[in-house]
Amino acid sequence: MLRTAPLFVFLLIANLCFAGPDTPAVLKKIIVKKDTVAVNKKPAVIITDTTTIAQRSLDTAALNKYKRSPEFKYEEKYDGPSWWTRFWRWFWNWLGNLLGRATKHEGAMSSFFLFLKYFFIAAGLSALVFLILKLSGINMMHLFRKKPYSTLAYSESVENIHEIDFEAEIEKAIAVHNYRFAVRLLYLRSLKQLSDNGLINWQINKTNTNYVYELTNAEQREAFKRITLQFEYVWYGDFLINGEIFKRINALFSTFKSSAE
Amino acid sequence: MENENFEQRTDLSKLSSAVEKIKATLSKIIVGQQQVIDLVIAGILADGHILIEGVPGVAKTLTAKLIAKAVDVKYSRIQFTPDLMPSDVLGTPVFNPQTAGFEFKRGPIFGNIILIDEINRAPAKTQSALFEVMEERQVTMDSHTYKMEEPFIVLATQNPVEQEGTYRLPEAQLDRFLFKIEIKYPSLEEEITIVTQQHQQKTADQLNDIKPVLAGADIIALRQQVRALYVEPKILAFAAQIIHETRNNRSIYLGGSPRASLAIVNAAKAIAAINGRDFVTPDDIILVAAPVLRHRIMLTPDKEMEGVLPDDVIAQIIQKIEIPR
Repeated sequence: MLRTAPLFVFLLIANLCFAGPDTPAVLKKIIVKKDTVAVNKKPAVIITDTTTIAQRSLDTAALNKYKRSPEFKYEEKYDGPSWWTRFWRWFWNWLGNLLGRATKHEGAMSSFFLFLKYFFIAAGLSALVFLILKLSGINMMHLFRKKPYSTLAYSESVENIHEIDFEAEIEKAIAVHNYRFAVRLLYLRSLKQLSDNGLINWQINKTNTNYVYELTNAEQREAFKRITLQFEYVWYGDFLINGEIFKRINALFSTFKSSAE
Repeated sequence: MENENFEQRTDLSKLSSAVEKIKATLSKIIVGQQQVIDLVIAGILADGHILIEGVPGVAKTLTAKLIAKAVDVKYSRIQFTPDLMPSDVLGTPVFNPQTAGFEFKRGPIFGNIILIDEINRAPAKTQSALFEVMEERQVTMDSHTYKMEEPFIVLATQNPVEQEGTYRLPEAQLDRFLFKIEIKYPSLEEEITIVTQQHQQKTADQLNDIKPVLAGADIIALRQQVRALYVEPKILAFAAQIIHETRNNRSIYLGGSPRASLAIVNAAKAIAAINGRDFVTPDDIILVAAPVLRHRIMLTPDKEMEGVLPDDVIAQIIQKIEIPR
């Protein structure tokens, strides 16, 4: 209150200072003019409605039609559950009784019903997991497989090195002078031999260099490097090979074969 | 690696000699980093541009400068900064009062070996100026096309994008680099050698003493030789399959482009030539797969957050593909 007192005084003084003298009123003479517009007055006339009224009635036929229409029937007649519903109700009751009986029976029957109970539970859970995996788009083959490809599958080359009869195939290739293919078979035979002896771990994603470094025996490694070089020149380099060159290469492979045995 | 059973089909002696000379020159200054040097040489032989990435102080710029010094061609250096404009790189039309017309003043991009230092410190606007020149080896300005002289090599250095003040390069530009070479920290032994050399003031003197060991024309000839190397169709399919798999991998948001397929084969040819072979083996393809792909693929955000590296994903992809044999 004390704080606002000076402000109040200031406002009061300011009001007194700025307040001007009263403005004198300007008096004007008002002249009243007489209205000279003529008014044409007419006598009031009452107009009576003389139109004839045609009384309409409801179309009973149409009304009955609507009444018969099932779309306008709001009362539902309940005839009990459908056969589909009844079937499922029966199924679940039967299943419930079956599983419930597991504890009521004794001996072998009890075990059977118990087995059946857990079988259904396991099947249900498996179906649920399968559904979840399917919906989430997870590849189940990859989920349960340790490696994306089998270690021995050799799909690209048609053959599987563990299934080829190398000696017969090499003979065939030499017989038709397909030395390039024969060198390839000789090299695959060497890989199989090393894999069978546990010296290398055969995998389809390993390069020749990988196998070279897997060999621990220095002498064997050098020998394998030499035959790898021949294979790479013939197979990757597409160098022309005749019978004479093949003989020399074949000798190298034969030496390696006997040393690796 | 010679084979006594077969006659030499391609004479790679000049190429081997050139490679040895460059390696020897670089080894005078650079300690270790043999794989980096091999890849840089392979990149030059494969007619590609090279992006060198590493944390500050691992001799990125020094490596690029040494390569430029070892080759006797016109060398330009552009320091990329945040305020650099495209015209600062390409050039700009300048009014000539004597002819009363505009003349094109060529920018520093007009050279043979262009060192772009700290390339990722300039924004995308400036980066886009390099698109045409890096791919088409030409600059179009005011409806006039200026062809670049051969050889034309862009050697760019950058810090990892996590570093302060850096931008991520546009994908279109990254795709134009043949390799992204990552320079790691040296080993303890290498670090001791670096410090010893510096202490004996060997490095500073030797940098000035580097003399060119290769002419521009030599590079052009060697590139033609590399281009002519033989690649077995199954190996071509193997390279294509690697790139194709990057487009179907769950960890990858953006896979390799067809340009990546071409790059992987060209780079593998260069590696084969450096190793003295005139044909490519699956090992060559695998060796260059990571440097060719690591900057071209984009991982999905969740994989990036998990800390998965592009190299890990590339290795996984290769492991799933059968080696042609």
